[in-house]
Amino acid sequence: MNTIKLAWTYMRIGMLNELQYRANFFIQLFQSAVAVGTGLIGLSLVFGQVDNLAGWSRGELLAVMGVHILMGGVIRSAIQPNMERLMNDVLNGTLDFALTKPADAQTLVSVREFRFWQLTDVVVGLVILVVAVTQLQAKMEALQIVAFVAALLMGAVLLYCVWLMVTSIAFWVIRVGDIVDLFQGLYAAGRWPVSVYPDWLRTGLTFLVPVAFAVTVPAEAMTNRLTGETMLFALGLTLLFVILARVVWLIGLRSYSGASA
Amino acid sequence: MRRYIDFYLSSMRISILSQIQYRVANYFYMIGMITEPVIYLVVWSTIANQQGGIVGGYTAGTFAAYYIVWTLVRNMNIVFTPFGWEWRIREGNLSMELMRPMHPIHNDIAYFSGWKFVVILLWLPLAVFLTWVFKPTFDITWMEALVFFIAIWGAYLIRTMLLSLLGMITFWTTRVSAIFELYFGFELILSGRLVPMTLMPQWVQNLSNYLPFKWTFFFPIETLVGAMSTQELWAGVGMQVLWITIGASFLSLVWRAAIKQFSAVGG
Amino acid sequence: MSSVVSISQLAKYYQVSEREGGLKASIASLFNRKYKNVKAVDGITFNIEAGEVVGFLGPNGAGKTTTLKMLSGLLHPTSGSVDVLGYEPRHRSHDYLRQITLVMGNRNQLTWDLPALDSFDLQRAVYGIPMDQFKATRDEFIELLELKDLVTKPVRNLSLGERMKMEIVAALLHRPKVLFLDEPTLGLDVTMQRRIRAFIAEYNKRYNATVLLTSHYMADVEALCKRVIVIHHGRILFDGDLSKLVNQFSSYKTLSLSLQNPDVDLSKYGEVVSKEDGRVTLRVPKAQTSQVTAKLLSELQVDDLTVEDAPVDDVIDQVFSQKEDA
Repeated sequence: MNTIKLAWTYMRIGMLNELQYRANFFIQLFQSAVAVGTGLIGLSLVFGQVDNLAGWSRGELLAVMGVHILMGGVIRSAIQPNMERLMNDVLNGTLDFALTKPADAQTLVSVREFRFWQLTDVVVGLVILVVAVTQLQAKMEALQIVAFVAALLMGAVLLYCVWLMVTSIAFWVIRVGDIVDLFQGLYAAGRWPVSVYPDWLRTGLTFLVPVAFAVTVPAEAMTNRLTGETMLFALGLTLLFVILARVVWLIGLRSYSGASA
Repeated sequence: MRRYIDFYLSSMRISILSQIQYRVANYFYMIGMITEPVIYLVVWSTIANQQGGIVGGYTAGTFAAYYIVWTLVRNMNIVFTPFGWEWRIREGNLSMELMRPMHPIHNDIAYFSGWKFVVILLWLPLAVFLTWVFKPTFDITWMEALVFFIAIWGAYLIRTMLLSLLGMITFWTTRVSAIFELYFGFELILSGRLVPMTLMPQWVQNLSNYLPFKWTFFFPIETLVGAMSTQELWAGVGMQVLWITIGASFLSLVWRAAIKQFSAVGG
Repeated sequence: MSSVVSISQLAKYYQVSEREGGLKASIASLFNRKYKNVKAVDGITFNIEAGEVVGFLGPNGAGKTTTLKMLSGLLHPTSGSVDVLGYEPRHRSHDYLRQITLVMGNRNQLTWDLPALDSFDLQRAVYGIPMDQFKATRDEFIELLELKDLVTKPVRNLSLGERMKMEIVAALLHRPKVLFLDEPTLGLDVTMQRRIRAFIAEYNKRYNATVLLTSHYMADVEALCKRVIVIHHGRILFDGDLSKLVNQFSSYKTLSLSLQNPDVDLSKYGEVVSKEDGRVTLRVPKAQTSQVTAKLLSELQVDDLTVEDAPVDDVIDQVFSQKEDA
């Protein structure tokens, strides 16, 4: 419970801090608009040629795009800033400040930053999703929404775990910017449902960088494609990744303490 | 002139020696970078196959060729970014660069072109891998190969000019990221980075003829992938030279104003 | 002989826009900005002759760096004239830049991941230094600063002081005639400061270079500069010999004496600053120095007595605090 309180405190500070820079909201909104614009152009190019892509209709792909933008907002507001700060701390030897606080170090390094205005993308993504679902004229059922939210949460946790693992393994040999680039590059693959991709890539996007579970699965929930098995599988994978990330983090931390001693 | 050649060689050497130390980081970057064309490639070859094997004149094989060459051209297109300009002004590094008896742009061009040698070296295994996976169809003549080699450097120079111009906005205002994003959005659509220009609606293609973007992506790629006549190939190089000249002229104009601004308010 | 540096009625005013917080205010400020005029440098005049080493003193924000930047052509003056080596710095002509250098203690231009030798070579190419001259100068500097074992190590592995030495080598490889040094020893330990100081003195001697230097460390100034220019609020307060500065501005002298009987109360002679091992230090108003000395010698059993000027640090402090009150 202490953890939640801590996270909330940091989040509040971050929020108050960013509310001072309200112009950033408009900049963010503008950037979201550019991203949505190029995304829509991409979709219209595809559907200028065909009326479905590997079995996904235009409306369904719009839903995928909505989830992709939404999850991108989650990453950039809560996950990426913390991991970047962690990498910088390790690089500059300032991580000690975090390690000497009376709280679980992993929790602490994961909640220190929060970019409030990046949530704009969450809202924009939601709007697109709602538009898409209305287009599909699918009737929303409560169970569907529950499944969607659950899938979304698990997806976010999975992405966080992967970020943390890569940060823990590689932070002392690699420039920060390159890891960010790598993730942004791979995450971009989530723009389309993973079933479009060839097997080897789909496997990678499912198990190595779980973009499949972060974007495609929640989108499946909203387009009546989701099966109970997939949900169970997602749950299992999430638990596995949480444990794995913890282990890798602890090993990384030990080597950090060893190096700085 | 001798001094400039000497400087370029010296700076390129430094860049190669520095960047080779970061090969792992460079690889991370590159793996992230190739997902983008792989996505486009997968989507468009799926479409081509659904359409009976061909869409807009491209087959799955030529799409593969397009997007594999794309990865090299994209690497050539990496230049000193507008964000770099923002940083160098904010951190005061520009002041030190201005103290040298040489325009700072030379260092940018030299450093990044040195980097290209490291990048291309690292790129080769990836290209082999992509070729093995996606089975591109190529039909390359010597002439095309020659023009391609020239065109990728032309693309590099055009994009250097464009992004430097964009970066110089930072001399006047610091809230620039939105402008940068908008620019990158336009570039994505109008350069052939997203899809080959021939898949775009006619009016977009027409528009792109009057803009520099397609000479940095579509043209260099098409020298290898498309079937251009010798005349078309060299005309394209001519267009690149034209855009480099226009870019350089604008750059020196804006640079003069920028320095005036900079020397008025201090670095 | 004409001066190397000559500045006349030089001024630099900045327009600083006053911004209020909040979105409304920042949008409003796009259309109707309020400006405040800041006089960073407010009409200063001085000349520096070839081979002189001049200390440029003043508190933070006095206008030192602004002046150095105008001299090196990075800033354009609002009014007045600058002439260095017959050039107008603001044009930043390449011939001019080849003859000067600007070192700022907090900036670096060495390639982080490579040995300094590689950066030196780049510097050679930038300035078009002939190879034999380059090698001679480089080796000379490396020897003077004792850098032989360090030049092959990546710069990122060097200490702050070692890096600063490398910076200075890089900045002087083209053998500039005029050196603008802005806090070249900032943040370095005492040994390192001394080494760099000695190097600057040596360079000045060997090449008859003209040096204008700012520093927070009076030791730098005392060791290097015969002449100082003191600037405050953008105006010159003093320009002349360091010894004259002390004479003109210090209100007291320091008497240091050994007594046969150290337990005498000396406070009626002056302010007792310290008292240890039988040696007493007294602070005495300047005008009364001879009077007090005579009294001391006649009234007490004095073994040894020396009269010293006040430390320069104290004098400078005094200068600024006096002017602040005025």
